[in-house]
Amino acid sequence: MDTICKQSKKHFLAIFSLLFLSFFLSINPVFAQDGEKIFKENCAVCHSMGKETVTGPGLEGVMKRVPSEEWLLKWIKNNDALIKSGDAYAVKINAFAESQMTTFTNLSDDEIKSVIAYIKAYVPPVKKVDNNAGGAAGAPSEEEGNPLTLLIGIIAFLIIIVAVLRGVRHSLKNLQNEKLGIPEIEKIGAWTEFKEWTRSNKTTTGVFVLFIVGGLVSAGWYALKDIGIYANPETKLEYNPEQPIAFSHKIHAGDNAINCQYCHSGVERSKTAGIPTVNVCMNCHRGISKGQSEAGTAEIAKIYDAAGWDPQAAKYNKPQKAIQWVKVHNLQDFVFFSHQQHVKVGKQECATCHGDLTTMTTAKQVQPLSMAWCIDCHRTTEVPGMKDNPYYESLHKKLAEKFKNLPKDQRKFTVDKMGGIECGKCHY
Amino acid sequence: MNKKVKQIISLMAVFGCIAIASSSCGKKDPNSPGVEFMPDMYRSPSLETNMAYVTIENGKETGDTLQANRMPVNGTIPRGFMPYAYANDTAGYANAGRYLRNPFPANAANLAEGEELYVKFCVHCHGTGGEADGLVASKLSGPPPSYKGPVLMALSEGKMFHSIYYGKGIMGSHSSQVSKAEIWKIILHIQKLQYPNGVQAPAPLAVDSAAVVKVEAHK
Repeated sequence: MDTICKQSKKHFLAIFSLLFLSFFLSINPVFAQDGEKIFKENCAVCHSMGKETVTGPGLEGVMKRVPSEEWLLKWIKNNDALIKSGDAYAVKINAFAESQMTTFTNLSDDEIKSVIAYIKAYVPPVKKVDNNAGGAAGAPSEEEGNPLTLLIGIIAFLIIIVAVLRGVRHSLKNLQNEKLGIPEIEKIGAWTEFKEWTRSNKTTTGVFVLFIVGGLVSAGWYALKDIGIYANPETKLEYNPEQPIAFSHKIHAGDNAINCQYCHSGVERSKTAGIPTVNVCMNCHRGISKGQSEAGTAEIAKIYDAAGWDPQAAKYNKPQKAIQWVKVHNLQDFVFFSHQQHVKVGKQECATCHGDLTTMTTAKQVQPLSMAWCIDCHRTTEVPGMKDNPYYESLHKKLAEKFKNLPKDQRKFTVDKMGGIECGKCHY
Repeated sequence: MNKKVKQIISLMAVFGCIAIASSSCGKKDPNSPGVEFMPDMYRSPSLETNMAYVTIENGKETGDTLQANRMPVNGTIPRGFMPYAYANDTAGYANAGRYLRNPFPANAANLAEGEELYVKFCVHCHGTGGEADGLVASKLSGPPPSYKGPVLMALSEGKMFHSIYYGKGIMGSHSSQVSKAEIWKIILHIQKLQYPNGVQAPAPLAVDSAAVVKVEAHK
């Protein structure tokens, strides 16, 4: 009896504690983990946990700033109503804001409380001190001396040494002659001595003369090849000019897989693909101020400078400047080329003409952009955008009629069959 | 000195010099587009996009070069342009949500185009599924909210349009990259991501008399 009683007591206690626990749970349905999740989904867009302003103010020390926790709850839930109710602090902070904060009326009080709990309990992660950061990141490239100045320096040095040695030899010889009782010999000029030396060493002189002449001829030949800009297929493929901002296509289009058209958005609707204006850079770089290295951060600062953006104040409050990008792919004015036609109807990939930019740090010209190159491609490429396009329907039918007697492999509707190599197609 | 030794030395010198000369000639200056022997029509007398020109002031060329991309003359608009009636402020945002409705039906063609545009213009931050898991998102100071969070699920299409047109938070305006029609098609795709089983029909369109007056005034 006694033991049964004890057991039932134990059961009772267990059940009671369970009930108590569940009751406790029911009044606290949202935990801090949820607070973190809700914060990241809704608040982190505009608020950082540190001091820095993103869109809204940083939340470091926010609990000391606001009048009370209840006030903060009301503010998060519906800041609009709080401002309209004439709350002094709400009106005061709204006056500083560039845009009003979103209202979160569809979050429950408990959810907002969990967010507040998360903000209160937030401890900033301890930053690891990276000893290699300075060395590995922006290691300055070794300054390379100009080879020509180096060569001239060496030659000047040698001439000085030869002159000094000639003087020394002359005086030593005279010293010897004095001892032997031979009268002092006259000093001969360097030029005369050189002429005498060439007469006695005809083979060596001949070889050197040959070399100099050959060098001059080859230099002249290379200089001739250099004539002609942008399009020279033999020499111009290494044209990758330095840009005012060291923009890396590899980081943007390669590592981050940003679509080419995000920045070159004119490619489907205009003759030119377009160089993005700085507002397009700022679409992402308003939120990304640090590069992968210190040098990268400095380049991003150049965007801010051009856009007139002050990252500290998080405002556009400075004068704007134009970025003078250097054009890499350039066609003569007597050629008509439209990106729209090639990308929209021709369905050509950017890489066909511009190379794989996802691997290039600086954009460079990889195709000759010559007429032969254009025509080669026009002879072999079909136009996929022509099918199902009502504009080309009648043309397509006519072509099918015209080529039906040709062997099957020649029945491809390539660009040249549609007049794509007519002179007037590109030159008018 | 022996004659043979002399010959060997001179031959070695020649080969060395040739090796040096050929290696130094092969490298081209990457900044140079080449020598323009004669004007070859690379610079057009008419203004072309993305080319630098010398500015002329009082009939004299100045040293400054100027890119041809310039702000349009005040008061000019592109062909077919319709002004957007709502200002970039809190009231405009609220009104856009109240009065703007998507003129494009959610048919297959529009949705396909919307998805294509979404992949080009949104995916690197907002992610393929709209869950803010794009490759760029983690690098931003504040990651974008997921489309499937409670606030964005309840966001009206007018407010979406307003946010893409003017930008919101750290997201900048995308009106220079996508046209108004394209924004609406992107919104169709976003709504498809949010509600895979179909969007609830929005409340019937209320007429904003103030906005109509503004549009009329712009015409």
